[in-house]
Amino acid sequence: MVLLAALLLSAAAVQAQESEPDSGYDEEEALSIDRMLICPVCPAETIDQAQVELSRQMRRIVREMLAQGASREEILDFFVERYGPEVLAAPPRSGFNLLAWVIPAAGVLAGVVAVPLIIWSMARRGRPMAAGEPPLEEGLEPYLQAVDRDLAESEGGLGLPMGEEGAGPPEDETRDEDETKVNG
Amino acid sequence: MADLGAICLWIALALASYAGVGSVAGKIRGNAVLLESSRSAVYLTVLALLVATLSLVASFVNRDFEVAYVAQHSDLAMPHRFTWVAFYAGNEGSLLYIAFALSVMSAIAVWLAPAKVRDTLPYTIGVLMVVLCFFLAVMGFMANPFDKLPFVPPDGEGINPLLTHLGMFFHPPALMAGLIAVSIPFAFALGSHLGGKTGDEWVDSGRVWGLISWALLASGLLLGSWWAYTILGWGGFWFWDPVENAAFMPWLALTAFVHSIMVQKRRGMFRMWNVVLINVAFGLALYGMFMNRGGSVPSVHSFGESALGWTFLVFLAVGVVVPLLVFFWRYPKMRSAQTLDSMLSREAAFLVNNLLLLAVAFVTLWGTVYPLIYRTTGEEISVARPFYDQVNGPLLLGLIFLMGIGPLLPWRRATPASVRRALLAPALTGLAVVAVLVALGMREPFALIGFGLGAMVASGIFLEWRRGAVSRRRSSGENYLLAFLRLISANRPRYGGYVVHLAVVMVALGVIGATFFDTQKDVVLSPGETVVVEDYELRYLSTTATDKGNRTEFVSSVEAYRDGELLDTLRATRSFYPSFNMAATRAAIRSTPVEDLYVVPSENLPNGSVGLRILVNPLIWWMWVAGPVLVLGTIISLWPQAAPSPAAVRSPGVVHDRPTTVRGT
Repeated sequence: MVLLAALLLSAAAVQAQESEPDSGYDEEEALSIDRMLICPVCPAETIDQAQVELSRQMRRIVREMLAQGASREEILDFFVERYGPEVLAAPPRSGFNLLAWVIPAAGVLAGVVAVPLIIWSMARRGRPMAAGEPPLEEGLEPYLQAVDRDLAESEGGLGLPMGEEGAGPPEDETRDEDETKVNG
Repeated sequence: MADLGAICLWIALALASYAGVGSVAGKIRGNAVLLESSRSAVYLTVLALLVATLSLVASFVNRDFEVAYVAQHSDLAMPHRFTWVAFYAGNEGSLLYIAFALSVMSAIAVWLAPAKVRDTLPYTIGVLMVVLCFFLAVMGFMANPFDKLPFVPPDGEGINPLLTHLGMFFHPPALMAGLIAVSIPFAFALGSHLGGKTGDEWVDSGRVWGLISWALLASGLLLGSWWAYTILGWGGFWFWDPVENAAFMPWLALTAFVHSIMVQKRRGMFRMWNVVLINVAFGLALYGMFMNRGGSVPSVHSFGESALGWTFLVFLAVGVVVPLLVFFWRYPKMRSAQTLDSMLSREAAFLVNNLLLLAVAFVTLWGTVYPLIYRTTGEEISVARPFYDQVNGPLLLGLIFLMGIGPLLPWRRATPASVRRALLAPALTGLAVVAVLVALGMREPFALIGFGLGAMVASGIFLEWRRGAVSRRRSSGENYLLAFLRLISANRPRYGGYVVHLAVVMVALGVIGATFFDTQKDVVLSPGETVVVEDYELRYLSTTATDKGNRTEFVSSVEAYRDGELLDTLRATRSFYPSFNMAATRAAIRSTPVEDLYVVPSENLPNGSVGLRILVNPLIWWMWVAGPVLVLGTIISLWPQAAPSPAAVRSPGVVHDRPTTVRGT
C-alpha cells in the first residue's frame, strides 16, 4: 500500500507539473526532441544526457527553433543536414532503415506464430485423457469438493483416498509442488 | 611477487588441462585413479589461481610499478582500498578475476554435485576446464597481468576516477562472476549430453547454478545502473549502449531458462528447449564477457580490431557451434517425458514468457548489430535509446502481464472458470489503480498500463500469500506470521520466485516513474540565487575548491526548500583530474520513496557561479531497494530443502503447504 501511496503522490506531481508556466516553447516537447538526438562527440549519449559544450549548444538550438515555431520534423531535419543521419538516436523509418524496424517485428511475429504451433504439436502428441481423470472443462464444483476432501484428509490424517485420482504415482508424492498431485 | 603470480598462472593452466583431459580419458577408459586425480586437479587450480590473485594484489599494495598492469592502473596517491577496484580495471586483471571465479565455482560445483549427475560429471569437468583453459591461455600468451616493463617508472598512471565509487566495488565483480557462472549450468547440460544422459539428470544442478548466475547478473546490472545514476551526472541509469546490452542479453536468456527449467523439473517437459536456452545463454554470456572485458570497450566497432578480439571471437564461435552439434547429435534421444495438456496452463504461460524474453534479447542484439550492417552501405547510423524504448517497451510490459497471470495458472491445465476465479481480484486491483491514476490526471498510456499491471502482479502475489497463510492457520493453529513463514519455507522455489517478482515490479515502478515523469532543468546560478523546480525551491550557497593532489574537488552546497521549509542542504561534488583531463561528478541526491531530488554540477565558473543539472525523478528509489529484495528472493528459492520422506508427505505440515489448492484446478 506504500506503493499505492507513492503512485498517488507522483500522479499529483504530474498535475502540478502541467500547470507550470513556460516561456515561448514547450519544454516537454524540447526534452523529447533532445532524447531523439545523439551528441555527435560522445557516442551512445543523447543530448539531454551529455554534458559537453556541443550538446549544450544543440539543446539551445532546439529551444530556439521551437520558440520560432519550428516543428519536431523540421528540427530533426536541421540536425540531420548538419551532422548526417547518425545524429538521430533511432534510425528513420524509411528506405533501407525500415529494416531496423521490420526485423524485430518480424522476429516477434515469427515467435507469436511459432509458440501456438509448438503448444499445439506438443498437445497433439499427448495421450487422450485417461478415463479416471476428472472432467476439468466444465464445472469447478466437483473438483473443489475433491480438494476439500483432500484437505480434510491431510488435516485429520484419516487416510481417505485422494479424490478421483486415487493415490497418484509415487513420484508425485515426493514433489513439493503438490498441485501436480491434485491434477495428475 | 609478480614472478610467483606468473608461474602460478602456468601451473593453473597445466592443472586445468590435466583435469579436463584426464577426467574425460578416465571416464572413457574406466580408470578410477585417473578420474580421482583429475578431480583433485580441479581443486588445485583454485589454489594456484588464489596465489596468482594474491600476488597481483601484493604487487598493487607494494606499488610494484615494474609490473605493467600495476603501473597502468594505480599510482602512489591511490589509497590501498582501491586495490580491489584497480585489480579489474583493465583486461588482464579482469581475465584473472574471471578465471579465479570460474575455478572456485567449478570446484564447488564438482564438490557438491548430486549423485544424479555423478555418472557424467567427468564430461562436465571437461567442459568447464576447456573454458578455464581458454582464459588462462589468453592470459598466458596475450594479456598477462604479470608482464613487466623494461624499466621501473617512478609512479603509475593512476586509477580511472570513474571507478573510485562504491558501486564499482560490487558492480563489475558481480557482473563478471555472473557471466562466467553461466558456464556451470551450461557444462552440466553439455556434460550430461556428452555422456549420453539426455533426460532430467542435470536439471537440479542446472537450475541452482542458473539461478546463482541469474542473481549475480541481476545484482550486477542494478549496481551498474545505480553507479551510472549517481556518478555519470545526467540523472539516468540505463543507456542501452552496447556494453550494457551485452550484459543484459545473457540475463534475459537466463531469466527464460530459470523459468523453463522449472517445467522440466516438475513435469519432465521442454527438455530440448532448456538445452537450447542454456546454450544461448552461454553464447550470450561469452559475448557479454568479451564486450565488457576490462570494463572500457567503447563500442562494438572496436571488437575485432585487436588480436585479443579475434581470439575471443573464435572462442565465441566454438562456444556456440560445438554445443549445437552435440545437441543435434543427441536430438533423437531427447523426447519429453510428458506432453502439454492445455494452452491454459502454467507450462504454456512459461513458453510465452520464454518467447517474450527471447524477443527482447533478439531486439537488443539486433539493435547492437544493425549499425554494423548499415555500415556496409558506407554510411553511419545510430541505434540508441528511442529505438529500444519503442520496441522493447511493449515487450517488457507484456512480460509484466505474464508475471501477473503465469504463477496463478496451475500446471497441466486450467478451466476458464478457475482462471477467472484466480485472476478476478488481481485484475480488478490493477484496473482500480488505473482508474485512480486517471482520475488524478495521469494521461500517459504506457505508464498507466505499466502501473496497472504492476498492481495486478503485486496484488496477485499478496492474495496468494494471504490465502495460503489463512489456510495454514486454520489447519495448524499457527499465528499468521508463523503460518506465512512456514508457507514460504514449504515451497521455496515458488515463494522465492514471488519475492523476486515483487522486486521486478519495484524495478518497473522505478523505471516507469523516472522515464515518464522526470523533470530536468539545467541552470547556471550565482551564489545566493534560487531556482524553482517542481515544488522544490533550491538556493545555491557557495562552492569550495580543495586541492586533493591528483584532483581539484569542487563541492557546491545547495539548500532545498519545499513550502518555505528547509528540507536538506545538498552537497554535490565535481572533481577535475588534470592527468586524465576529465571531471568526475557525484550527484547530491535526496532520495525518498516518492521521488528523488537530484542535483549534479556540470561546470564551475571562475566567478563562483555553478552550472547545475537538477532533476526530480519520481519513484526511482524503488529500483534500488529492489536489489536486496531480489537477492533475498533468490536465496529463498535456492535454500536447500530436504526432500520430504514418504512419511512426511502424509503429515499435515507438508501436505497442507498448499496455498493454491482452492484455485489449483
